[in-house]
Amino acid sequence: MTLNLQNLLDFQNIIDALQWGSFYALIALGYSMVYSILMLFNFAHGDIFMVGAYIGFGIASLLVGLTVAGSLALPGWVILILTLLGAMCLTSIVGMAVERIGYRPLRDAPRASAAITGLMIGIILEQGNLILLGAKRRSFPEIIESQTFSIGGVDITNIKIMIVGVSLAFMLALHLFIKKNKWGMAMRAMAFDYLVVPLMGVSINAIARMTFAIGSALAAVAGIFFGMAYPVLEPTMGIVYGWKAFVAAILGGRGSIMGACFAGFLIGFIEIFVPLVFPSTLRDLIAYSIILLILVYRPHGFFGEPYSAKLRL
Amino acid sequence: MTPDNPTSEKHYLRLRHNVQHRLSLVPILGWLLGALLAVILEQLAGDYLVDALDMDKMPSLLGILAIAKDIKYFLWQGWDQLVIIGKMFAGGAFSGVVSVPDPFQTPRVLLYVFLVYFLPIALFGTLTIRPANWMADKLSKLPSAVSVIGYLILLYLVMHIWADMSAYRGMALRFTLIAVMLTLSLNVINGYMGEFSCSHPGFMALGAYGASVVTVVLFANDKLFGAALLPKFLAPAFFPLALVVGGAVASFGALLIAVPSFRTRGDYLAIISLAFLFIVKSLIENLEIVGGPRGLKGQPDLASLPVVFTWAVLCIWTINNFVRSTLGKALNAVRDDEVAANAMTVNTRRTKMTAFLFGAFWAGVAGGLFAHVLRYVNPATFGLQKLAEVLAMVYFGGLNSVYGSIVGAVSISLLSEALRPFELFKWVIIPLLLILVMIYRPTGLIAFREFDVRSVLKPKQNPESEV
Amino acid sequence: MRKALYVVLACVVLSLILSPCAWGRAKAIKIGINAPLTGDIPKVGEGTRYAAEMWKADIDAAGGLKVGKKKYPVELYIEDNESKAESAVRANTKLITDDEVLVIVGPQSSKQAVPAGEVANNWKTPMISPWSTNPDTTKDRPYVFRGCFLDPFQGPVLANFITEEFGFKKAAVLYDVASDYPKGLAEFFKEAWEKLHGRGSVVAFESFTTKDVDFSSQLNKIRNSGAQVLFTPQYYNEVALIVQQANSKGIKMPIVGSDSWGSAETVELCGEDCYGLFFSTHYAAAGAKGATKAFIDRYEKKYGYIPDDVGALTWDALRLVQSAIESCGKLTGRIEKDRKCVRNALAKIKKFDGITGNMTFTEEGDPIKCAVIVRISEKGEYEFFKSVCP
Repeated sequence: MTLNLQNLLDFQNIIDALQWGSFYALIALGYSMVYSILMLFNFAHGDIFMVGAYIGFGIASLLVGLTVAGSLALPGWVILILTLLGAMCLTSIVGMAVERIGYRPLRDAPRASAAITGLMIGIILEQGNLILLGAKRRSFPEIIESQTFSIGGVDITNIKIMIVGVSLAFMLALHLFIKKNKWGMAMRAMAFDYLVVPLMGVSINAIARMTFAIGSALAAVAGIFFGMAYPVLEPTMGIVYGWKAFVAAILGGRGSIMGACFAGFLIGFIEIFVPLVFPSTLRDLIAYSIILLILVYRPHGFFGEPYSAKLRL
Repeated sequence: MTPDNPTSEKHYLRLRHNVQHRLSLVPILGWLLGALLAVILEQLAGDYLVDALDMDKMPSLLGILAIAKDIKYFLWQGWDQLVIIGKMFAGGAFSGVVSVPDPFQTPRVLLYVFLVYFLPIALFGTLTIRPANWMADKLSKLPSAVSVIGYLILLYLVMHIWADMSAYRGMALRFTLIAVMLTLSLNVINGYMGEFSCSHPGFMALGAYGASVVTVVLFANDKLFGAALLPKFLAPAFFPLALVVGGAVASFGALLIAVPSFRTRGDYLAIISLAFLFIVKSLIENLEIVGGPRGLKGQPDLASLPVVFTWAVLCIWTINNFVRSTLGKALNAVRDDEVAANAMTVNTRRTKMTAFLFGAFWAGVAGGLFAHVLRYVNPATFGLQKLAEVLAMVYFGGLNSVYGSIVGAVSISLLSEALRPFELFKWVIIPLLLILVMIYRPTGLIAFREFDVRSVLKPKQNPESEV
Repeated sequence: MRKALYVVLACVVLSLILSPCAWGRAKAIKIGINAPLTGDIPKVGEGTRYAAEMWKADIDAAGGLKVGKKKYPVELYIEDNESKAESAVRANTKLITDDEVLVIVGPQSSKQAVPAGEVANNWKTPMISPWSTNPDTTKDRPYVFRGCFLDPFQGPVLANFITEEFGFKKAAVLYDVASDYPKGLAEFFKEAWEKLHGRGSVVAFESFTTKDVDFSSQLNKIRNSGAQVLFTPQYYNEVALIVQQANSKGIKMPIVGSDSWGSAETVELCGEDCYGLFFSTHYAAAGAKGATKAFIDRYEKKYGYIPDDVGALTWDALRLVQSAIESCGKLTGRIEKDRKCVRNALAKIKKFDGITGNMTFTEEGDPIKCAVIVRISEKGEYEFFKSVCP
């Protein structure tokens, strides 16, 4: 085992880790919101991320294809915005449908049962994609031409900067929405007490729908950015990132938007930096041992309030 | 017979009632003996019947596989037909007709299953109600250990003769028994204890590798571990030891999770156990001594049907006793209300630890058996997909129920084997089924039911009374 | 009860009606195909399936496989191994014990072929893996054969090629540690390279695990290591990601690959980033002659694209199986005996004229064959560059 410490100081890695962490953070937000507000594990979320990426792929391919064919003359950034908006809308609908089919009928059932339905819906989404589109890999179209800037020996692409910047902007927007908006307040209230708040005239169904919609829209953003950064899409891509983001969501602490973002970036940083110091095969081993240790010393995550969950089973 | 003929209708209803009544009188003993008769019949006459019906081979798994293949043929054909018709409307030429799969197995398979299984079992069961009940009564008066062992021997005989006819049946049966063990051990944690543990594939992996290392080091000439240390004939004697080592390794792993996660109540077990699953997988991938990511092969062929059967029975027996013991009741109390249980002098932490380690032990043993049935293990087997599979079995069968776990494991294993011809659709059909079960019975098919061997085996009719 | 009786009656009638057409037909020869139809490398599974279907169409057109004086129809049993080791083991077990196939063709990649070969050998069923280049697949397994060259041959071929062509002295390797094929080949390459340029000349030996998509930390390490060339023996889906990420990091060194690159998907996913790169493979489609060209043309006409090396190798493997069964002389109908006969016939095959080269099996069941170095042209085609024979 050779330790190579000067790699740690390479600024390049920080850029890479920021990009890698923003995917986890965006996906983790969806988990975290559902978990905080409805006290549910939404195990279908990883696959919603996958669906988002594929919807984005579909819209982007169409627009890029039309532009190349000459029937449309759109600059790259317009295509990107259209793709983002379209995919966010459509993925939110998928998210709301998942809530309607898989979670609403089980609102009074044990929480674990709802988690299992979520897991199963995830499997169906994944297999459905395999059936519809086949096992062939899809290559995400190049929406914006990648340009590499070299600043002091560090190579940064415009796509990396955009991904990190736009992701942070979305996180900030969500934070403001939750803190300042009336609906955001209703969500926080629901997270505080889901038995009493409905009595105050807040519809739990509306809040649940909105939670799933927002989470899914963010997952779609993550999916499109993922496709732009790693342009090989496959139907099973949701599983691994979904479960890792789930760890991030819990690590962040219940009910904390900031926590989920922070934990997402933390996992990104751990996964990029561990292979720099240790042999790359040990990455998962060391990364998750660190997370395990954090949870041992901070069992409620970084920003979570200690609470006593009264399980309904 | 037309339905508007009142006498025949009445006659039919009476007949149906009679049949139902008679069927309800058959004790388990009668069914078992009938099944024994059926498998002996298949052993003796199955080949002739296969020839007479001009089938390819004996239908494995009660013919479900063959029927599924035919159904698939029609479904796929149907799709092709739609495409053809669509093309026709679009102006193309009509080219193709609905065809029958060749060879068309379903009618023959149904006939075979009817003649070999259904008819003998039903006839034997209903015709021997009195002697079977009389025997069941006599058996129930014996010490329960003796009678239960008698029943188990009978059950084993049925399985053995049935599995003897093709290696595939034997393998499917052994995997099903292992699935039962896994499901039960996870039910102790997720059902009886009410936590949500994600690390079961991890425990299974630890058990599989623990047991494999013991047997490979001792009895196999292996590239990684060198020549065998002990002669081969000792292997069966050491196999239980190897499995216990596997179970112990899994329990040790469980201890590492249990110490931090049972300090607080909440969902932290879910996360810590998930992280643990990743860690175990990564750890094994980095241990070159056990083959790393490429897996460990060369396990001696030790997990034969009797061995797996014995361990499965042992597992069901211990877990059933465990959950019905004081400790098991304490466990339920902790699940329902930890604070109240604590106030009632239940040592909650120790109770949870014991149950968790106990569940992990049996997962490890099941893993060890799994490795020796497949005779190859690799870390990728024990990933998130395996987790989804085991969770599906537990929640399908029912929480907090030994009976439910057996039903869940057997039905999901059977389904996933039977739906094989549907390829990708297999993992759409099974999740859909599970979602329906969750929506209509949120705790599973047979949840919260005690598994009482005596009441299952008792005679269905007082031998003194008249039929 | 009454309904059940009707069903049974209907079954009896139906089977009697349908039976005459089936009665007396010769028992078919069953060939098992164990292929990755889904999972990480579906294109490989597709190539396998298409080649097998083409072969079966030939047999059907000829009225069956002629063994001795009798013609037998052939049935293909295609099992999906999801590109996973454990599924390949299960698929093989099912093919052998439930479907009772005579021969198995597949699995393709070494990750599945190494463990699945163990099953075939334990059950004494001949298996021939067309594409698996890892030595462990056939080692000490009399019943397992392969249709391609081995990694101990391919590693030095690539090391020599890079040295002669570019004159480089320092190489980096990036490979998937969780998969038999990349791991084995990476090690053979390292050994060969260090033999040529001395210890420490492989300046970065970096790994990742299956399903990883971000290689930035590994690539950053490679960039800082001063390597002149990057060797990555990966499958096509990872090749695209590795090459593109390397380009976006401004890594200018040439990237060299191995026979796993030889799928049409590589260029489709990777695009212009891959143009001008080299890799070693089993045959070059562009500029082929004779039977090879006939096969390529037929395949392209039927399925719309030029066959990968997997398709060609599978075709050769099936032809090998065919000639072994034919030279068996007589099928007894007792599956164990027939399997043994086919195995012995396979081992005796001398100078088989395949479309990917001549083949004679060694004691281990490995053929001695030539490798081809291919360059990806500016049009995205695989151009023949040179051929290296043992």
